[in-house]
Amino acid sequence: MSTSALHADHHTHDHHHKESFISKYVFSMDHKMISKQFLITGIIMGIVGMGMSLLFRLQLAWPDEQFGLLEMLLGKWAVDGKLDPNFYMGLVTIHGTIMVFYVLTAGLSGTFSNLLIPLQLGARDMASPFMNMLSYWFFFLSSVVLLISVGVETGPASGGWTVYPPLSALEKAMPGSGLGMTLWLVAIALFIISALLGGINYISTVLNQRTKGMSMNRMPLTIWAFFFTAILGLLSFPVLLGAALFLIFDRSFGTSFYLSDIFLEGVGALENVGGSPVLYQHLFWFLGHPEVYIILMPALGITSEVISTNARKPIFGYTAMVISLMGISVLSFIVWGHHMFITGMNPFLGSVFMILTLIIAVPSAVKAFNYLTTLWRGNLRFTPAMLFSIGLVSFFISGGLTGIYLGNAAMDIQLHDSYFVVAHFHLVMGSAAIFGMFAGIYHWFPRMYGRMMNNTLGYFHFWITFITAYLVFFPMHFMGLAGVPRRYYQFTLVEDFNVWMDVNKLITISAIVAGFAQILFLYNFFVSIFRGKKAEQNPWQSNTLEWTSPIDVRLHGNWPHELPTVYRGPYEYSRPDRESDFFPQNEEDPTAPEVLHVEEKEVAKEEAPVENSVFFAAIKRVFGLSR
Amino acid sequence: MENISQKKVKDPAPLIAPFKMNLWLFMLASSMLFAAFVSAYIVARPDAEAKQLWTSFDLPIYFLYSLIISIVSSVTMQLATQAAKKDELARNKGLIAVTLLLSVLFCYSQYLGWSRMVMQDLTFVNARPEHISASYVWVITVLHFLHIIGGIILLAIAQVKAFRLEIHKKQITFMSITNTYWHFVGLLWFILYLFLYFAR
Repeated sequence: MSTSALHADHHTHDHHHKESFISKYVFSMDHKMISKQFLITGIIMGIVGMGMSLLFRLQLAWPDEQFGLLEMLLGKWAVDGKLDPNFYMGLVTIHGTIMVFYVLTAGLSGTFSNLLIPLQLGARDMASPFMNMLSYWFFFLSSVVLLISVGVETGPASGGWTVYPPLSALEKAMPGSGLGMTLWLVAIALFIISALLGGINYISTVLNQRTKGMSMNRMPLTIWAFFFTAILGLLSFPVLLGAALFLIFDRSFGTSFYLSDIFLEGVGALENVGGSPVLYQHLFWFLGHPEVYIILMPALGITSEVISTNARKPIFGYTAMVISLMGISVLSFIVWGHHMFITGMNPFLGSVFMILTLIIAVPSAVKAFNYLTTLWRGNLRFTPAMLFSIGLVSFFISGGLTGIYLGNAAMDIQLHDSYFVVAHFHLVMGSAAIFGMFAGIYHWFPRMYGRMMNNTLGYFHFWITFITAYLVFFPMHFMGLAGVPRRYYQFTLVEDFNVWMDVNKLITISAIVAGFAQILFLYNFFVSIFRGKKAEQNPWQSNTLEWTSPIDVRLHGNWPHELPTVYRGPYEYSRPDRESDFFPQNEEDPTAPEVLHVEEKEVAKEEAPVENSVFFAAIKRVFGLSR
Repeated sequence: MENISQKKVKDPAPLIAPFKMNLWLFMLASSMLFAAFVSAYIVARPDAEAKQLWTSFDLPIYFLYSLIISIVSSVTMQLATQAAKKDELARNKGLIAVTLLLSVLFCYSQYLGWSRMVMQDLTFVNARPEHISASYVWVITVLHFLHIIGGIILLAIAQVKAFRLEIHKKQITFMSITNTYWHFVGLLWFILYLFLYFAR
């Protein structure tokens, strides 16, 4: 902004930016370009992550089969076409890391926060475009380091995505704990820097750069979701940095923060004593649990927006939606212990964590209820984005319900580290969040590229993915209840687990079909960028500001003239007094002069009967905080 | 896509300077980092004590000197900012120089403190297993020291700006950012020192 202002001083007329290829496409400071960079990198990481899951699913379904293709692809990691156990562990670990951090944190939050925060708030760009650019390039660097770690001689980090010490702290513990683990830590450190740079920017922009009339209670729910997500990231990622630092010190400097009383075969007792491996779990899950909501909340925000727009109805309970997001955010910081019920935790403390965990069901249920009531009797338009949003609601409910089982400290003794957990989180945060991301891509593709995606391919993509996702993850509940543990390399050698081989085959076949459905998506996405039908200015007849900035020109600064002014909330669809069924936020109401407005307000003030709770009044006051 | 740029329009200025806002958010994030270390100390201690592997030791007296220096430097920094607000430029320059001097003194004092710890065999990597407590003190003090280095860089830039007459009544943002950050690292040391002193 400052440079363009300087330029403008020299030329009084419109001028063309003399942008080089590098400053326009590579080291761009335009939030729209950065969002595309995040999206494309996220998609590439997503392809890698999903590819890995297919590889280890093949192993689980046909453990004794020899796949010549695998040996060709992986060389010494698949001698005779059979996956190496160490590499299997590495695949599981890197699949988790990629999906959690690189696809569903950076790919989802990075893409849509960058795209929508300035556009929906009426800002020219982020608070600090330079930091925004750094955020992307740290993320890019981090992705490269992680991918390199997959190719090193000793294999990638392979202690699970949570990399618990002492397994991850001792190079001699397993091959993956050598160079692969070091690179994993470097990648995550870079990722944390990226997430913090991005998060600071998002919060600062939301609080500080809103256009005239855009009070906080008029912000679209997407922005609310990104805002709380950024706060969670800002408060929890530094703690992961602390955990990673301790781990680095233990691995490379010889301290004993996490190490105590360890006897290694061939090495004997180690000198490291006095540390506590459980300490790592405390630090890790203090990030880890909010991280789950960092993944999910942007998807929920996107869903609110897409469902309201395509149901042509105001979102049901705007304030309730915001308060539930806030409730989820606050609770997410005080429930990390439910990942550690069986670490020898005091049972009383376990009960406390259990109660807090179960309370999360309340704001989550509010959200599910509000989605359904928004859909109820709506004038539904089944665009692909809408279908994916409804799919999210479905996964959110079916995956969320099993969370109530897992949150019970007593149930967790049976269910922890079993396929029940895998089923639970893949539905509630994996599939739900990726569906939110797809909804966002289909919905805002015209905003990003000025063209439309193909609807028919979108429908195929949705239905195949939706059905196969359930086919993959639903049977896992039963395996988990029967005690089948997660992360195992092969089940045929244990008689009790052998009965699940048919189910394992069903899961793997479904996963492969799901993989093919994603090829449809990729084809649709990349072809539509160049050959899609040209989009209209506001293809979904939406109210929010991003559709008022011209979509057929590339414009750093978003609006060619002055910034739009906002007159009302974002979800005024199908207002009875209006001819068209939407009412853009920036459109002045000719039938409602200011005087009428004031009178209405006064009448409303006298009649307001429900303001009987000080708490809600106070919260409303805060939300009403206008510029 | 056609490539056009916006017409020259004057946008309303944001309520708070973006740089300032970002600094506050950064301070929040880095407070969480120290909160993590302090919590780790609290969680780890009973475990280690149960195995009789926790040594309580007195903090080197130099860390207390550092605390006093940091309090004095906070005062001089505040006075410097007030001088800039009143356009008393010479006073501003002088007080920034004093703060800068005190900040270097702070570093020296920390260095002496660390030397004393090394002399007492309280090293970062434990030569003796029961010194895990020392590792925590090292991590906390060194990470704080890195924050101080950031503060010194800001102070040095402020000093240069002051000599170039780029800090005055109407151009106060950088000065006030440096001021805020310097108070933050000072307060951080105050809290960390008290914690380490009483939790030893």
